[in-house]
Amino acid sequence: MDPSTSRPAVVIDNGSGYTKMGFAGNVEPCFIVPTVVAVNESFLNQSRGSSKGNWVAQHNAGVMADLDFFIGDEALSKSRSSSTYSLSYPIRHGQVENWDAMERFWQQCIFNYLRCDPEDHYFLLTESPLTAPESREYTGEIMFETFNVPGLYIAVNSVLALAAGYTTSKCEMTGVVVDVGDGATHVVPVADGYVIGSSIKSIPVAGKDVTLFLQQLMRERGEKVPPEDSFEVARKVKEMYCYTCSDIVKEFNKHDKEPGKYIKHWRGIKPKTGAPYSCDIGYERFLGPEIFFNPEIYGSDFTTPLPVVIDKCIQSAPIDTRRSLYKNIVLSGGSTMFKDFHRRLQRDLKKIVDARVLSSEARLNGEIRSQPVEVNVLSHPIQRFAVWFGGSVLASTPEFFTACHTKAEYEEYGASICRTNPVFKGMY
Amino acid sequence: MILLQSHSRFLLQTLLNRAQNLEKGVELDHHWVEFDDVRYHIQVSMKNPHLLLLSVSLPTPSSETIFVRGLPFGAFEAIKAAYGNLLQILDPPRDGFNLTLIINLSKLPANQDQKHAFMVKVASIREVVLGAPLRVVLEHLAARTVAPDLDPLVALVHRPNESFFLFPQADKVTVVYPMRFNDSIDIVLATSFLQEFVEARRTAGLHNTPPCSWSLTPPLEIKGVPSDALSANAGFVTFVIFPRHVEGHKLDRTVWNLSTFHAYVSYHVKCSEGFMHTRMRRRVESLIQALDRAKPDVENSKKTSFNRSFKRLGLKDSSTNSIS
Repeated sequence: MDPSTSRPAVVIDNGSGYTKMGFAGNVEPCFIVPTVVAVNESFLNQSRGSSKGNWVAQHNAGVMADLDFFIGDEALSKSRSSSTYSLSYPIRHGQVENWDAMERFWQQCIFNYLRCDPEDHYFLLTESPLTAPESREYTGEIMFETFNVPGLYIAVNSVLALAAGYTTSKCEMTGVVVDVGDGATHVVPVADGYVIGSSIKSIPVAGKDVTLFLQQLMRERGEKVPPEDSFEVARKVKEMYCYTCSDIVKEFNKHDKEPGKYIKHWRGIKPKTGAPYSCDIGYERFLGPEIFFNPEIYGSDFTTPLPVVIDKCIQSAPIDTRRSLYKNIVLSGGSTMFKDFHRRLQRDLKKIVDARVLSSEARLNGEIRSQPVEVNVLSHPIQRFAVWFGGSVLASTPEFFTACHTKAEYEEYGASICRTNPVFKGMY
Repeated sequence: MILLQSHSRFLLQTLLNRAQNLEKGVELDHHWVEFDDVRYHIQVSMKNPHLLLLSVSLPTPSSETIFVRGLPFGAFEAIKAAYGNLLQILDPPRDGFNLTLIINLSKLPANQDQKHAFMVKVASIREVVLGAPLRVVLEHLAARTVAPDLDPLVALVHRPNESFFLFPQADKVTVVYPMRFNDSIDIVLATSFLQEFVEARRTAGLHNTPPCSWSLTPPLEIKGVPSDALSANAGFVTFVIFPRHVEGHKLDRTVWNLSTFHAYVSYHVKCSEGFMHTRMRRRVESLIQALDRAKPDVENSKKTSFNRSFKRLGLKDSSTNSIS
């Protein structure tokens, strides 16, 4: 028996904004760190400038650049305190773009954060439903070649988000996952644990856009936030103060009547001079999340609200699954954490569905009464790392180890084994 | 980034977090595993939110190593010396663990710096327990004596069923590591890494570091050891530690670095593999660019755009690919 199957598997959920990592069987990830790498490129530039002949110096400079990097919060603070480090975000819009940075990021996750030996553990990684098979192959290659993992499973994050709800209340593997991350928003219908690929909808509005919108609002109002810090300030304001309102006009009135109650203050220190500053946070508290419901206030290139997208998505799914899809709409991802987000979504969606039912009844002159459609948007306390939790649940079942791609298979067939889900192996 | 830190990052984070929010009773139950199969379990119950149970299980010792009451010799004394009476040892420990500690979070030192130092020390429990025998030997070296009740050759566990060997003398301690790796590529990389490691020791500026050597055959110091403990596929590394390496505050670092040497090498082997891949990727990219430049003209690209798609597995080639 392989001793690594007796150890808990490592579950890493790499999102565009934050990476959640930990060991299977736990309820919380060990670490949630920003997915960012700070690289020191000054060595490389120096050596390039010098003469060609001095290859030893060039070699050493390369080695130093290889070792001199940071990830997560350390990376952010390093890049702020010194200008020699440049930040690189390996994942954009849910897809890995920079594999070098990604490999370094994983290396630090495994050795410096989780401090485990990758040869001892099976690994569960996540991917977005739209990830190309090529990129899955690349992931497999890095995991098996560099880290020598004994086994690897690459799961679709929306299925894991559904599986996270599986344990808490009921055994439902049919539902729509509304995954609003930092870089990508996907609406993914899942029927009995299988993703209905043709009905996946994704919209170009995600958590990062909320941050950018807040930054823009604050800049336009003339708040005195130092420009080099404004993105980070906007991100923190978003995470701490933003909420979803039920009606935008009423909310404006509320703010105007009682500014003392609703306006918050942000205090910070200018990174360059060290002087303290403060700014007000007003309407942007509810205007930020509003871009999911009224995207036209953010930009003119995309104007379909999120509830309409979800409705379209369910309408394009097979007809016999639609009712159960409406019944189980699951939120996942950090950007669904705004207060009352699920209530607003449920109300707006219900409106659309009821209007459709009414119009069809009117068309039939009230001869046939249809059963009312149940719309449920679920939110649970672990929404922020629901995907990770689902992975943890999945990886702690004994069947998990038999469903993995193993190192032996990789050596026999090559990276192409990662193209298909190992559950289906031998079926085609 | 180059060395592994002695404290467990997650344990420290959890302890600090708990100590800050003492009044909030939160259920906590977390298992995790570190390199060399050191397992941790931390538990806080709703009833007693200030009592924290920390269990540690150590790698299974090989036949040459002796454990006293489930711990390496000198560990109980080391725990007492390191933590005083700020925590208690639960006897017997939890099922499946070698050691269970009870930490009372409400009785921590009030001084913030002292408190933090204590937390860091608790998070380095692994160093305290696993490094205890090594510490005994090295403390005697600092005093230029040999520990009285020890064999002339001491075997210490550092990985599951694997040991490294100490050969203590009054004026020096010889440390021998049999290096083993599972993967054939790892063996090659580790061998060349260790050769370079020995080479790097000879450069100017490192004259005061412990002399180290690498050989494919077992060094003479460990003649008496059974041969199955000496089956190393990546050679043997020998360090000679002199009293100057264990003076005062240097002792802690020496103990940690020696007891995790294998993890250090394995970490660097993985890093070098990663960096080689980076180089290879860059090379492939530059070659593809060169090929792109060599393409005659753009007209042909119209045709190719039709069948631009992913590699499709047809029935024929998939049957060879399938795993039956």
